[in-house]
Amino acid sequence: MEKSKTPLLDQLEGGKWPSFVKDMKQAAEKSPMAKDLISQLELSYKEKIGHWKHGGIVGVKGYGGGVIGRYSDRPDLFPAVQHFHTMRVNHPTGWFYTTKALRKLCDIWDKHGSGLTNMHGSTGDAILLGMKTDQLQPCFDDLSDSGFDLGGSGSALRTPSACVGPGRCEWACIDSLDICYNLTMNYQGKMHRPMFPYKFKIKVSACPNDCVASIARSDFSIIGTWKGVIRIDQKEIDAYAASDLDIQKEVCDLCPTKCMEWDGKTLKIHDGDCNRCMHCINLMPKALRPGKEKGATILVGGKAPILEGALLSSVIVPFMKLEPPYTELKDLIDRIQDWWDEHGKSRERLGELIKRLGMRVFLRAVGLPAVPQMVKAPRSNPYVFFWPEDIKKPDEIAKEVK
Amino acid sequence: MSDDLKARITAAFKDKSKGDKKMFYIRDVVKWFPGDDRHAVQNTVQELLNEDILKYWSSGSSTYVMLAEFFPKE
Ligand code: HEM
Ligand code: HEM
Ligand code: SF4
Ligand code: SF4
Repeated sequence: MEKSKTPLLDQLEGGKWPSFVKDMKQAAEKSPMAKDLISQLELSYKEKIGHWKHGGIVGVKGYGGGVIGRYSDRPDLFPAVQHFHTMRVNHPTGWFYTTKALRKLCDIWDKHGSGLTNMHGSTGDAILLGMKTDQLQPCFDDLSDSGFDLGGSGSALRTPSACVGPGRCEWACIDSLDICYNLTMNYQGKMHRPMFPYKFKIKVSACPNDCVASIARSDFSIIGTWKGVIRIDQKEIDAYAASDLDIQKEVCDLCPTKCMEWDGKTLKIHDGDCNRCMHCINLMPKALRPGKEKGATILVGGKAPILEGALLSSVIVPFMKLEPPYTELKDLIDRIQDWWDEHGKSRERLGELIKRLGMRVFLRAVGLPAVPQMVKAPRSNPYVFFWPEDIKKPDEIAKEVK
Repeated sequence: MSDDLKARITAAFKDKSKGDKKMFYIRDVVKWFPGDDRHAVQNTVQELLNEDILKYWSSGSSTYVMLAEFFPKE
């Protein structure tokens, strides 16, 4: 048997999980780019050093993003990956594709690129991996003719993304799909023409289960929620009681705010103390439903660890009704981005800026009141102090006392 | 007014690009003109980008702006 040229990569195929190595080998059967990619990666594993050069070109005519330039630093060994640019394609909201659209996307990519994709990247976009510079424009033109557009990259608004929401999910409290699409169309300029200090991400989940992890991964998180009481269907409660679900142990005892009571027959929820974590609804979907008055909680400042550490988003608006054309929401996004654009340092995310200048400075700048819902527990996060200008100087006080 | 700003931005880019550093964060460009409205500077940079006098350069995660003449050739 012929000795493998990629002994190190082969090891990755050995485990019980599906391996990208297998996919790459499959692609290499018809794509010289994929073939050289494997060889370069094997070399990187052997030498424990990356062989990509970063940066450069940004897009196609009129775009300042959507393409991420990558070059091999060993084109002498791997000429087919001398250019290996990534194209970010704005995914359809909620990742709903027809098979026809998917086939079209793959055909275009087989024609212009390596054939390798990443469906989907953590931004949400469909990622097309590995393209030569001279193919950028023709590939974009073909994508464009089929109704696709580039997503965001660099110091821009990144492609907004949303959970499937009302498309599939009965828990949706807001139309995450429409909101995401509306914002995407509204902010085309901010996506394709980078002008911000750094990246800015908006993600929309239609209920607190937060399936797009907006709280951890976006600068501006929109999470559906409700006001008022969780709707209870007593008949279905009886059915759950008769099933092998232990309502006391698995539902009530695990309620984070301990606001549920179960006497073996009737379930009582003290809704005033419920923090809408979704746990009980997730366990008893037939018996419990979110309340009737629906809207969203708005949070800001989430980000992954690059540069400074990871941050979760913080609540800035406990409840906002979200109905088209979402004017209040867009006004708020504009005010926030403008404040960040004015005060943020280069490569400083919104959450880091808020930490540096203080939540109260942020709230005052964007015109939001401090409210109890922003506070985790009394005295745990003292957002509100006296403003320097409100504090009287000793000599002023002395004058008054006289 | 906008033509004046265009000329000043172009001149500033030429001046700042005399050394080794050719790429600048958009925020730094805005800071070169403390007396001008931030949005006006950004909009004018956009116009210069449209006219191919300036070019975007991006690492993928962050974006810079530079004079087109210095944009690296492949
Ligand atoms: C049996 C009597 C008392 C008990 C068991 C008690 C218990 C406590 C406890 C456990 C805390 C901490 C709360 C926390 O921050 O987690 C606290 C805070 C406090 N207590 Fe008491 N306390 C008693 C009497 C008093 C009295 C007589 C006063 C004043 C005259 C007082 C004034 C305060 C104040 C000002 C705080 C700080 C509240 C804050 O953190 O904002 N306590 N007390
Ligand atoms: C020379 C005298 C005093 C000094 C140096 C002093 C110092 C302090 C300091 C450093 C704190 C902590 C502040 C903080 O963590 O933000 C504190 C808290 C406190 N002190 Fe005093 N204190 C003095 C007298 C008093 C007296 C006479 C009382 C009550 C009759 C008092 C009641 C309190 C209370 C209730 C707190 C808790 C405040 C809060 O957590 O909001 N202190 N004190
Ligand atoms: S976040 Fe909520 S509404 Fe959206 S898909 Fe997940 S469970 Fe359904
Ligand atoms: S949603 Fe969460 S906090 Fe509210 S009652 Fe159910 S388990 Fe408790």
